[in-house]
Order: sequence, then structure tokens, then C-alpha cells
Amino acid sequence: MTSHAAPPPAYGHLCWVYDDPAALDSRAVAFLGAGLAAGERVWLAAAGTHAALARRLDGLPGLGNALRRGAARIVSVDDAYRIDEIVDPEIQVRAYAAATEDALAAGYTGFRVVAEATSLVRTPAQRDAFARYEHLIDRYMRTRPMSAICAYDRRELAGPAIAELACMHADSNADVLFHLHAAAPGDGAFALAGELDPSVHRLFAAALDRVDPRPVDGRLLIDGNRLRFIDHGSLIELDEHARRRGATAVLRTSRSAAARLAELLDLPDVRVEVTR
Amino acid sequence: MRTGAAAGHTGYYHEAILYDSDEHLLAVVLPFLLGGVEAGEPTLVGFGERNAELVRRALPAHSGVTFLPGGNVYARPTSAIRSYRKLLAEHVAEGAPQVRIVGELPTSAFGATWDWWARYESAINHAYDDFPLWSICAYNTRVAPEPVLADVARTHPRVAGPDGSHVPIGVYTEARSYLSEPRPMLLDPVQRTAPLVELTDPTPAQARAAVYAADRGQLPADDVEDLVVAVSETVTNALRHGLPPTRMRLWAGADRIVVAVSDGGDGPKDPFAGLLPATSASAGGLGMWISHQSCNHVALHRGPDAFTVRLTAGNPHFPV
Repeated sequence: MTSHAAPPPAYGHLCWVYDDPAALDSRAVAFLGAGLAAGERVWLAAAGTHAALARRLDGLPGLGNALRRGAARIVSVDDAYRIDEIVDPEIQVRAYAAATEDALAAGYTGFRVVAEATSLVRTPAQRDAFARYEHLIDRYMRTRPMSAICAYDRRELAGPAIAELACMHADSNADVLFHLHAAAPGDGAFALAGELDPSVHRLFAAALDRVDPRPVDGRLLIDGNRLRFIDHGSLIELDEHARRRGATAVLRTSRSAAARLAELLDLPDVRVEVTR
Repeated sequence: MRTGAAAGHTGYYHEAILYDSDEHLLAVVLPFLLGGVEAGEPTLVGFGERNAELVRRALPAHSGVTFLPGGNVYARPTSAIRSYRKLLAEHVAEGAPQVRIVGELPTSAFGATWDWWARYESAINHAYDDFPLWSICAYNTRVAPEPVLADVARTHPRVAGPDGSHVPIGVYTEARSYLSEPRPMLLDPVQRTAPLVELTDPTPAQARAAVYAADRGQLPADDVEDLVVAVSETVTNALRHGLPPTRMRLWAGADRIVVAVSDGGDGPKDPFAGLLPATSASAGGLGMWISHQSCNHVALHRGPDAFTVRLTAGNPHFPV
């Protein structure tokens, strides 16, 4: 591994990039083991045969028992998807929402999954759909007791491809400058964390389009509590995005420089509110 | 219809007063102001406290002259251009045939930061030229140093005299030429010490992190954040529009943080870069314009091997 784990977010939707499968396996064992201990139903979803995937969770105490009684399940994505299939974001979210509600109905306290999704994001079209799905499931996880680690293999995906997916999580161990993720209920249309500068302008514009946030009362409220820096180009991008949706973007951040920058640029459709 | 010396002139009529006594100053300013009021033109005074009071006392009561609030108009040249352009646009929108303004820079502008005020005095010949403005900039020849007065002469097309004269200045130099000349950069004394940070080809993110790391609490948090904005924009410009290598050096003093960013190129081709927003975003001019409004001083220097932008947060007024 070349990176360290990001601190776990308040809600659990983490992007985990790896180049050593053994490191992913031990991470999965710890994450799913904690879920079982907390009375949750857990899944491992990845490419490979059932037997091979079960072996990856060898270190998980009580795995056999948990598999037998339905507390744990191995899902081979080979069974569920054709090669190069483009995931339908809405259908995918409905499937995980149903799995969560099933788990709750069966008496579990929640649902957690480790999803190794490298095989689903190899082409630009696949990534476009999957990045949208990542945000939709992120929103779902903000409101229901589901948590997930989405794992991507750095040996098979180039850095820019990984960045497209990693930036759609609240946290990741990938080398990505910003995260655009679901805001806590009531805190806005979405949240921004990290730093936005020209090196990520295209990525930011694509992420905004994929999130396609819905204005409420003509406002796109953005939780920028964890935003450390935003440059003029990204503010202009927000302004243009808000205008296309007939809304005003309202960015709430503790960074007062963002407010001075917005004032200098005289952007009609962005307002920065400084929270301290 | 414009009135007074600027009658028949199109655009900006820019003059200097080079005065050596209160009487000299008033002899130019009073007729200028009263003539403006009489013609129904918006007539404004942008003086510091002392001279504002001098003029106020000399004017009749309820003269109709507007005194601009002192303070921050002349804090940063680019901000001054921005706020004056806004003010002028408002007056013109209300139908003013001419706007008259007499102003003066604070004496603190005549020291270490004079270079950007000299650029301001030159650039406004262009920046205000789309307005029917007649303005006079007052300079006290007993206070302003000789090099400052030399720049004043080269940046003002005419001088207004106490005898009512408006005399063209022979050495006046058109803004594009003046602003394209090489200018020396006065070395800030902190630059004589070893830099706290020295980075070659940093990413903008690394440059920002270096500024945050150098912050020892000597500056208000807002000033540090604005410096981070300026450094990020400047490093981005160097990487995108300059030539390698991009070097960033940072020095910290008791009351300021100074960052120099250089690259192997010739710097921006636009002579107004930093003072006016670029018309084309691809030229990086917006970043330079933002940087000029995020720092207390920005100095530009074209050397034989490098173009350098020096950004100062905190107190930029080192002794010269």
C-alpha cells in the first residue's frame, strides 16, 4: 500500500484503493467483522468464484456460521453482470436499499458491504454511470443504516479513472484533492471537502454533473464545512452550474477567502456564507 | 457637455498637481471643485484627513462637493481601480456629462510599495478612459521623493497650475509603453535571510500547504488565507503560462510573510496584468488580478533569466 486509510467518516462510505489484494482482504475482514459484531448483515461483493471470495475472508472469525445463518453473504459480481456492462445507477441503488431493508426486517441492526468494483468501471461510460451510482448510494447511506467500502484495484485502473470514483466519496485513501459527497440531511444538496483548484477543474465539473443536485426553493445549498480551499475557477464553475439549473448556489464554509473571492468576481449565481 | 479644461475632451482627462504649499493646493483645487458643482457635475474629493479638512474649511458651507470616506480606497491599486470604475459607471448611468475627482495617495505609498502605485497612475489613463472623467492627483513636492515625482511626471499627461493653467508634461509616456518597461524590484530586507521554504516546480496544492505551514500566527487568519489564494494563483500561472523551472521561496518576518514565485518565462504580455482583469481567462490574467487584491503588495520583476512575482501579506512598508 502506498497510502494510509483516511479517518472513517461519520457515516461509512469509504473509497479504498489498493495494489495489494492481501491488504484489501485484511481491511475487509476488519470492516465486516466489526459489522457482524454490531449485529449487522454483511456482504462481500467482488469478481471471482464463491469459493475464492470466501477464502479472502478466511481471517473473519465465525465466517462459516455467519454464512450459514445468512448474516454474511458472498456475492460474485461475475454472476450479476456481463463483462463491460454499464450499471444502471438507480437500479443498483434500489438493489442495495432492498438488501438493507431486508436485513433490518430480518432483525439485523444494519447492512454493510465491501464491494470490489474494478470490473464495473473499466470504460469511461461505465465510470460515468458508476460515479453517479456512487453518489446516489452515498445519499442513501446518509439516511439509512448501510455502510460500505468501495474498493478499486490501482494495478488495473489509471490514476485519473480512480480519481473520478474516489472524489464521489466522503473519504478515500486515494490521492485526490477534493471529495464531493452527500450532505447530512438538512445540511444541503451536497457537501464539498478538501481543495478545489485548476488541477481538478474538469473532475469537479464532471462530478457536479453526475451528482446533478436538485435546487430547493431556488437554492443549491452546499455544505463546505470540510472545504479547505476553492479557487476562482471552481467558483465560476459553481456559478455556471447553478445558473443552468435556474438556482443560486449557496456555499457555506469557514474559509472567508472564498467569500472575498466571490465578491471580487461578482458572480450572480453564487453566494458564499462564512460560518465560524 | 463637459466643462472646464476638459471641455471637448473624450474620455479621461488626467492631471497632476505638484504643490509645495496649502495655498498652491487650494488655488488649483477650489476652482476645480466649485466649477464642477456650478456645472452640475458630480464633484468628489478623495483626500486624506488633513487635506480633506483644509479643503472643507475653504469651501463655502453646503458646497455640494462630496468627500469620499477616507480609509481603504487607496489600500490596493487594483481595488481602487475597481471601486472607482464602479463609482464612475453609476454616475454616468445617472446621466452625468462629466465627473470631477481630486485625490491623493497616502504618503505610505511613496516607499516600498511605490512601484505598484506608479503602475496604477499609468494604468488608469487606460482604465478610466471609457468615462468622461476629469481627475487631478495631488502630490506634495516637499513630501514625495524625487523618484516618485519622476514617475508622476511620466504617468500624468498634464499638470494643473495655481494660475489656472493646464500644461502638457513632455515626459508623459503612454501607459502601454510605460508599463512594459523593466522595473527594478526593491529587495525586502527579509529576502536577505535564508528562505523558510524553497520549492522547485511545486503543485499549487504543495505551494498552499507551504504557506499554511509557515504561518506562525503573526498575521490575522484572513490575511494568511488571502495570501494562500494569491500564491495558488501565481504558482498556477507560472506552471501554465511560464517556462520551467517554477521556483517558490517564502520568508517570514515578525509582521509579514513574503513569497516570491519565479519562472523562466518573460511574464504576462498584457501590460495591465494585475491591475485590470484579463479579457481572456486563458491568459492567466484573472489570477494575477485576484492576487493584486489579495495581498498588501505585489511586485513584478522581469530579469534576464526569470520573471518574478513577489507577494507580501502583512506590513509591506519596509524602509527604503
